[in-house]
Amino acid sequence: MSGALGLGERAYDLVLRQATVIIFAIVLLYFGFQAPLFLGPENLGNIVKQSAFIGIAAIGITFVLLTRGIDLSVGSVMYLAPLIAGFAMREYEGSVALGLMVAIGAGAVLGAINAFFIVALGILPFIVTLASLFAFRGFGAYLTSSRQFDFAPALREFGLSSVAGIPIPIIVFALVALAAHLVLRHTLFGKQVYAFGNDPEGAVKAGIPVPRIQTAVYIISGAAAGLSGFVLIAQIGRIDAGFGEGREFDVIAAAVLGGASLFGGVGTALGAVIGATLIQTVSTGLAFTGVNLYLQPILQAGIIFFAVLIDSLRQHRQKLRRRRSIRPIAT
Amino acid sequence: MIRPFRTMTASVALALGGAFAMPVQAATICFAFQDLETEFWVAGHLAITTTLTEQGHTVLERNANEDANRQFEQVNDCIAQGVDGIILIPQDGESATTIVANAQDNDVPVAVFNRPPSDLSRGIVVVADNATIAEQAVDYIVDQALANAGSDETLNAIIVVGDLGDPNAVGRRTGFYAAINKHAERFNVIEVASNWDAATALSNLEAAVTANPQVDLLFTSSDFLFPTIRSVFEPRGLWRQRGEEGHVWMAGLDGDATACQLIKDGYVDATGVQDLFFEADAALQAILQAIEDGETDPNQVIEDPGFALTADNIAEREMDMWGCVLLAEGFLD
Repeated sequence: MSGALGLGERAYDLVLRQATVIIFAIVLLYFGFQAPLFLGPENLGNIVKQSAFIGIAAIGITFVLLTRGIDLSVGSVMYLAPLIAGFAMREYEGSVALGLMVAIGAGAVLGAINAFFIVALGILPFIVTLASLFAFRGFGAYLTSSRQFDFAPALREFGLSSVAGIPIPIIVFALVALAAHLVLRHTLFGKQVYAFGNDPEGAVKAGIPVPRIQTAVYIISGAAAGLSGFVLIAQIGRIDAGFGEGREFDVIAAAVLGGASLFGGVGTALGAVIGATLIQTVSTGLAFTGVNLYLQPILQAGIIFFAVLIDSLRQHRQKLRRRRSIRPIAT
Repeated sequence: MIRPFRTMTASVALALGGAFAMPVQAATICFAFQDLETEFWVAGHLAITTTLTEQGHTVLERNANEDANRQFEQVNDCIAQGVDGIILIPQDGESATTIVANAQDNDVPVAVFNRPPSDLSRGIVVVADNATIAEQAVDYIVDQALANAGSDETLNAIIVVGDLGDPNAVGRRTGFYAAINKHAERFNVIEVASNWDAATALSNLEAAVTANPQVDLLFTSSDFLFPTIRSVFEPRGLWRQRGEEGHVWMAGLDGDATACQLIKDGYVDATGVQDLFFEADAALQAILQAIEDGETDPNQVIEDPGFALTADNIAEREMDMWGCVLLAEGFLD
């Protein structure tokens, strides 16, 4: 069918399909032109490293968004899960590996709590995760009396270390992205997630274990948020009471920017990586080139809005084309 | 497990409790705060609540979790419960003005602690002179940096700015520039946004330092960001003690325990101190006096002049800084 389209229309389609990547390239080139060091390996490495924090959580929330759900508690999980890991490391004089496992485990447990109320009790995900956003942060504040928590120096050594010149946060980010990509694209579970998100009723009729799928995606989102918080804290060595506050919006923005739909069924792990990296690139570029601090949030919001707008245009155009055609169109 | 913070602020509370003996009978005070993100807010909160409770007053605590609208509703709820007075740590200057006016219109006296309303004409406002305190701290590191640099050398100065919706952050930035502009021709200033968030500060500071690898001086608008600064500086060889080649002259503002320790260790050179003891004491005295006098709309601005604790005066003034008091009690252990 695409052969029936004119060259101009095909080019337009291509631009819309690859909008986020094109905007990404434009942003890189623009800041590179403003400050050549911006495109240097050190800065590009920093961008990917700093993207890991939001990116890992965005990959996790993509699973939730694929099932038409939402997880507003990720910012609080980013705070509470590493905090629990810190207590575990201090109590048992444990290693960084123990802390890492506890952070992921605690995040998974917090995700399971969300899942229990959503799946078993049938409460709306928005309501449940809004409540847990406050509950998890409140529990963290209770544990610390709102004080900062200092981790053992070994954690910071780990967070600032690198393997073969690649910083640890980038390695963790890459492993998470690869694992999520494989799970979503090449496993039965991944196919069931997409099937449920595209047509929940149809998925039930087809015998897909919907409660199990829904439970799993919230656990994955929690575990990813716990890991992302741990990765960032590993670079600073201290967690403050305000850590992660409001980050749920960045995480959701990254996933949506990467192509995930808030209406379910659409989105990829690699898209979340691109979304998070684009947001970080804009943020770093503005800081790097010394843009006026009052203008930075406006410009950042403008670029993100533009990217999401282009993506919406693409989806709208695809819908129109499907309507006009009597046969399905390859996208 | 973590040591309860409550025990460590005992001396702060005792200091305040002993500072004044109000004749007022037991009152019910609503303490509405926006959140407790940093050591300063935590210490201020506990000093006020502990002192009031120990004096026999009832404290209704309301945490708005950084939501100005929620705080407005919480204060309305307190008014409906018939509280005798309100102590407020607002989310921002604009919402503070609305909340203070609303409380006074309902005949409840209100004291605003540390974060001033945009309109200072209503309510008891206890506020640090952020601009002057910042200027004193930055003056010190500017003098040190210039004294240790060549006479024609241009120096790179970084300021880590707070949330520009917060009047305290704006005041600190103003104070920084007041000090820098005395030698404007000698400094190239790089602004880094933090939004009072460690992750944002880490990312933006890393970008700024990559773009400008030569850093001579840094001022952070809050001491709580020093661990973040260390994470960026250490791998680049910029985290060095005084006297070492390549030492970056650094100052902060708040006067917390971490800053006290870092000044002692030689990594940080100065911090602007908000006098927590004075501010909490002034807020309590003023609100309790208003209740005692039956005054429902007391309007008064109480300014905390603050001071700069530096590497040169720490030996004499250490115990004037609340963070050093907490440090001496083992706060960072």
